[in-house]
Amino acid sequence: MNDEKNRNIDILRTGPFSWLKRWSARWSLWPCHFVTSCCGVELAHASGCGYDMERLGTLTMGISRQTNTIIVEGTITRKMARALRIVWEQMPDPKFVNVIGACGQRGGIFWNSYHITHPHTIVPVDFFVPGCPVTPEALIRGVRALQKKIEGEDRDTIRFKKANLQFKERKKNMPPTSPKLLAPTPLIRNDIPGGVGWEDGDELVEMVRSRLKGLTASITVTDERRITIRTREDEIKEIAKRLSEIGFDHVKSVNLVDVPHEKKLILEYVISGYSKSLMPILITLTADIRGKYDLPGLSDIWQSADYTERELQDLFGVRFEGNSWNEIFMLAPDTPQSPLRKSFRLEEEEYILKDGVPLTPHIDPPSDLNAPLPSGVLEEVEEMGEYLVLVGPHHTGSGHMRWIMRLDGDIITEIIPDPGYVHRSMEKIAESRLYIQNIPLFERLCIVDPVNMNLGYVRAIERALKVDVPERAAYIRTMMAELSRIGCFIYDAGIFSLFMGHSTGFMYLWAIREMLLETFLRITGSRCSPSFILPGGVRRDVGDDLLDLIGNLTTAILPRFKKFEDIFVRNPVLLARVKGVGVLSRDEAVRYGIVGPFLRASGVEYDIRKIEPYDAYDSLGWEMITADDGDSLVRFLVRLEEMRESLGIVSQCVDVLKGMRKGDVISEEILGDYQEGSRDIRGSLYRVYGNLVLPRGEWTVLTEAARGTLLFSIMSDGESNVPYRVRVITPSWMNLRGLIEAARGERMADFWAIYGSFGYFPPEADR
Amino acid sequence: MTGTVEALINLMMADQVAIPLLDPILNILYGIPLLGHLLALILWKPLFAALICPGFATLGGLLMLLPWIERKLVARIQWRIGPHEILPQMGGVIQLLADSLRFLFQEVIVHRDAKQPYFLQFPVLSFIPALLPLLFIPAGTIIAIESPYGAQIVLAMVTLFPLFILGLGWASNSRFAYIGTVREAFVYFGYEIALIVSAFAMIVLYGTSDPLAISGMQQVPGIILNPVAALAFFIASAMATSRLPFEIPEADQELAGGPHVEYSGILFGLIYVISYEKVYILSGLMTLLFLGGGSGPEIRVLGDLSGLIWFILKTLLVMIALIALRAIYPRYRLDQALRIGWNPVFTLSTIAVGVSLMEVLLL
Amino acid sequence: MRKVVAPDYTVFEHVKRHVEAVKTAIREAIIPESVTCSYPKERRKMPASFRGYLIFDPDRCISCFGCAFICPANAIRMKEAEDGRYYPTIDYGKCIFCHFCLDSCPEGALKPTKIHDVAYRDLDRMLTLTEEMIEPPEIIREDKRYVEYVIDGRDLHLRRVDGEDELLVDLPPPSKVERIASCIDPESCTGCRICEEVCEHGVIRSSVEEDGVRMVIDSERCTGCGLCVKECSMRVLRLVRR
Repeated sequence: MNDEKNRNIDILRTGPFSWLKRWSARWSLWPCHFVTSCCGVELAHASGCGYDMERLGTLTMGISRQTNTIIVEGTITRKMARALRIVWEQMPDPKFVNVIGACGQRGGIFWNSYHITHPHTIVPVDFFVPGCPVTPEALIRGVRALQKKIEGEDRDTIRFKKANLQFKERKKNMPPTSPKLLAPTPLIRNDIPGGVGWEDGDELVEMVRSRLKGLTASITVTDERRITIRTREDEIKEIAKRLSEIGFDHVKSVNLVDVPHEKKLILEYVISGYSKSLMPILITLTADIRGKYDLPGLSDIWQSADYTERELQDLFGVRFEGNSWNEIFMLAPDTPQSPLRKSFRLEEEEYILKDGVPLTPHIDPPSDLNAPLPSGVLEEVEEMGEYLVLVGPHHTGSGHMRWIMRLDGDIITEIIPDPGYVHRSMEKIAESRLYIQNIPLFERLCIVDPVNMNLGYVRAIERALKVDVPERAAYIRTMMAELSRIGCFIYDAGIFSLFMGHSTGFMYLWAIREMLLETFLRITGSRCSPSFILPGGVRRDVGDDLLDLIGNLTTAILPRFKKFEDIFVRNPVLLARVKGVGVLSRDEAVRYGIVGPFLRASGVEYDIRKIEPYDAYDSLGWEMITADDGDSLVRFLVRLEEMRESLGIVSQCVDVLKGMRKGDVISEEILGDYQEGSRDIRGSLYRVYGNLVLPRGEWTVLTEAARGTLLFSIMSDGESNVPYRVRVITPSWMNLRGLIEAARGERMADFWAIYGSFGYFPPEADR
Repeated sequence: MTGTVEALINLMMADQVAIPLLDPILNILYGIPLLGHLLALILWKPLFAALICPGFATLGGLLMLLPWIERKLVARIQWRIGPHEILPQMGGVIQLLADSLRFLFQEVIVHRDAKQPYFLQFPVLSFIPALLPLLFIPAGTIIAIESPYGAQIVLAMVTLFPLFILGLGWASNSRFAYIGTVREAFVYFGYEIALIVSAFAMIVLYGTSDPLAISGMQQVPGIILNPVAALAFFIASAMATSRLPFEIPEADQELAGGPHVEYSGILFGLIYVISYEKVYILSGLMTLLFLGGGSGPEIRVLGDLSGLIWFILKTLLVMIALIALRAIYPRYRLDQALRIGWNPVFTLSTIAVGVSLMEVLLL
Repeated sequence: MRKVVAPDYTVFEHVKRHVEAVKTAIREAIIPESVTCSYPKERRKMPASFRGYLIFDPDRCISCFGCAFICPANAIRMKEAEDGRYYPTIDYGKCIFCHFCLDSCPEGALKPTKIHDVAYRDLDRMLTLTEEMIEPPEIIREDKRYVEYVIDGRDLHLRRVDGEDELLVDLPPPSKVERIASCIDPESCTGCRICEEVCEHGVIRSSVEEDGVRMVIDSERCTGCGLCVKECSMRVLRLVRR
């Protein structure tokens, strides 16, 4: 690696005109458009109008051949590692690599993931920029360092001063052991009666019971509006059929839980219905599977389960009967087999710095660069007289994903998704971390919508612990969640306009996002990763000066947004491009399991904030936005209108918060012994949350994230302070199927109109 | 022998670029042997047109400047700054110099599947249709080759352009380049007829296609005489030069650059500037046909250069208008662009011919 | 509930929208509303709550391991100093700047700075040892002024102020109640002496009496780090108010 690194700089330092070579290379460092993970968002901010990297001659350019820099933005998964090497090799000499973000250095928060690699073992790296995600300033500092290096001054931009530690006493101690409490043989149950009821609850249970007469089915109400139906593996299909007849028309999650000491897998389908009477009800259909890995699949009854089943096939090394896919879907070819089984263990944390103990486990780089296609596709395509276009993962308009497009002329006959390029194995990692440590982890599901991701996880914990959030904290959370929703829409709309070839729209929105991030920065101290919501409350109180700022923000973004509307939203060219494109009817949308604003754009009135209100949503005035057309245009417009509603919610929250007593932001139940002093968590975060243990059982909580329904389901054994299993189904993952189906039969260029309108975000989908 | 040289020099001296302001200096310089001859040669109108303006040197200068203007202007509209730090005193005007030198010094990759000699030839060859039309476009009174069919020849050359782009894409032998090439071919069919017909409308109006005559005839600029033709020509030019909203063959977000996806180093540098050359030529043609070429308030001391300066200024204006489209519009889809080319724009250009005929008959 | 209806433009509206778009562009070209911060020549002013590099005060540290235990990225590892106590080291190749460590530090030994724009050429140097965390590090700064983002009710304005922004933040230690370890159920003590072993301040002493081992906690010197509480397998130790 070092040889390769030196060779590239030597090209500039030697030969005739070397000063000219250095001068031109220095001012023309073009990074290629190769988004590898969440830090890409900050790369966008660095080249957006807030920082405008182009000032330094650093222009983000399409493709490897014409550029000379790779900025590795965060996690390089084993799947992406291949692309990274190929892109690097495609690039003409002399070329440079900067790695930004902790994930690309020693793995960051994903350091013990089974699906990551270290970029410096794949390509020679010139500079490492710490941060998670890095700030745009740090990113530009990396570019500056590279410029200096080309000039001839190759150094770190930071120097530490060594101080002498003053010692007082001498005594050798035993270091403490790990803070994790693990039950040796955890007792796993997902049908523990919750002892709660709700209006119409008993009737519903009776109705279900009567429909399932004659089948083995024990029906338990585990929580409010949560029903578990336990059955036998061979009858699950029949039960599913009958439930789908009642009106349970989609699957929210498919889950497997490995219980090795009982030699069983627990199979769970979380289903629900979009009819008015069934709306907030979740039924967990579960069966224990012993001694076999062929499971009854339900994707022929509910198509929305299809991709999730495929994913579980990879993660658990199982097969779902009836699922047409029997190849690798999410993972790279050389990841460990069935990594989510409990027999596969992740590296344990080290708490003591010792010589000889590596800071991070060694990971072999992928041995071959082949990223296989699904078998038979090539032959089939040839037979049909079509052709194949592989879009991504290194492509200006692919995102962190590969789309295998089958085209007949200009018409898309089929798109085969190839996800998993940002699969950072969050569910597995979560099983080895304390409950509190998973907060920053799950935030990184979607760095453009961090608060909602955070909220989803925290609410599941709160539901298990049955703690209430103080009113002030509830309003702060609502306000933050809505700000995050606005930020996410602004992001998606920006990417949408970029996909439409409209860089001005992108820049205008990035100016607005810069305002939003400034607000986040002042409230939480971080631009994109607030880690602000804690079980039982929020991390800090929001003072009056900040509330003023937020109040100003709600009106300040409007004039600039108006300009965006004038130049982009109302632009006749856009209308021509997106109207009537990628239409999904109500039935299709439900069948493919679309969620959130995109489902509402197809005419389904479903918003978790309305049907199962949490935090302060039911005490605020706002409206649900729907539409009937179900095309790309209204998918975009529905979110645009939702942004206006969100602004309304934020300003209402600000008003309420201003008139409320300050300080009370974390529930007393949670704080326990630590509630005096300041009501701030500062100083006692670990002591309060380190030993959080959830009661035994499973808690499934729905949250309305910016792109739709976010499902967190936490399973606890009741003894450990780490979760036994966490299942996350993100909105983008659910929308993937709909996106693929909407693009079928459209023109090739329409794919980006559809992709953009869905705001599809691969890191969120891949988890 | 000497007689021939004498005759040649006399020929050249008879057709020199007249610059009254510089006359005293020039007269001294003419007296110096060799240097004087060289000067006479360069200032010989046809050669001056080919080498200096509107030919090679102006082209080169504009190619260095135009992407910078584009980046700065677009950045300004987009609330940014644009290239700056490389030369902060002058707003980073030499940014393109750094970029092109970087391309020059970078490795040129010819990938294994490329169709080899052609892969290297086409970027260089495409300069032919880029340079030749300049010989027929007058900058004021300066023109390289006077021809009664000048306007048609320029149009013919301009429509040659896509052939070379097709060549690039074909030689690249890559999926995206292939799709981009096909799109280029389609768009070509979309704009070509409208472009030619709208130019034809002006030729009908002026009754001549001699560029010098055309620019001489426009006491009232063509854009006022026949605005419909100007609009059609402008839209067709935007399509011809792949500017947004018609940037369909390159479509960065869809095809990652289309025909030039596989090119690197100086070869890409060449292709990168070719599209700007096309902008220059079509803007020059537009200036000639609709904006009166080099006509404008004459600055007497500059002599022939006066017309030249007016020509360059007007051309620059048209170029900036074409460039600024990028900041305003998203991209049309291929079929929509074709529909626009065939339907509204073609109709507009036909109407323009009608307008011209009416004007010719009535006035 | 509100329904969105997709617009449908007439020819007149078409032209109007085109004109509007062009007008917006021209207006912005003439009077641009630039929001660009020219880093590295100027630096954005970060709020005091900014989560950047950490500095460390060994005099305040009670070696409670809270920062190492809470760190979600396992970036903090404790290093044994010559006095046998453990102090944190931070691996910035892993650190995610969540500042959970800072929020976990009961004594305020970890302090935030606004340093965040740093590039390393070598991965090994990203590990910052305890002795390097005491003094604020020196970074390359090219900024001659700083930019404040001012959001009033109408727009975002960039207020530029000449001079360097101070990157160190003065954060008072968290207010807290003094706690000490205490044995709540001496009868159940098995006398394993783990608490004595683990106590970094040597405040737990054992003595062998007739009826077994007896533990004594010197409550004056106990810092309340809680390690003994955590390690006690019989759960007979508690942190109580001093």
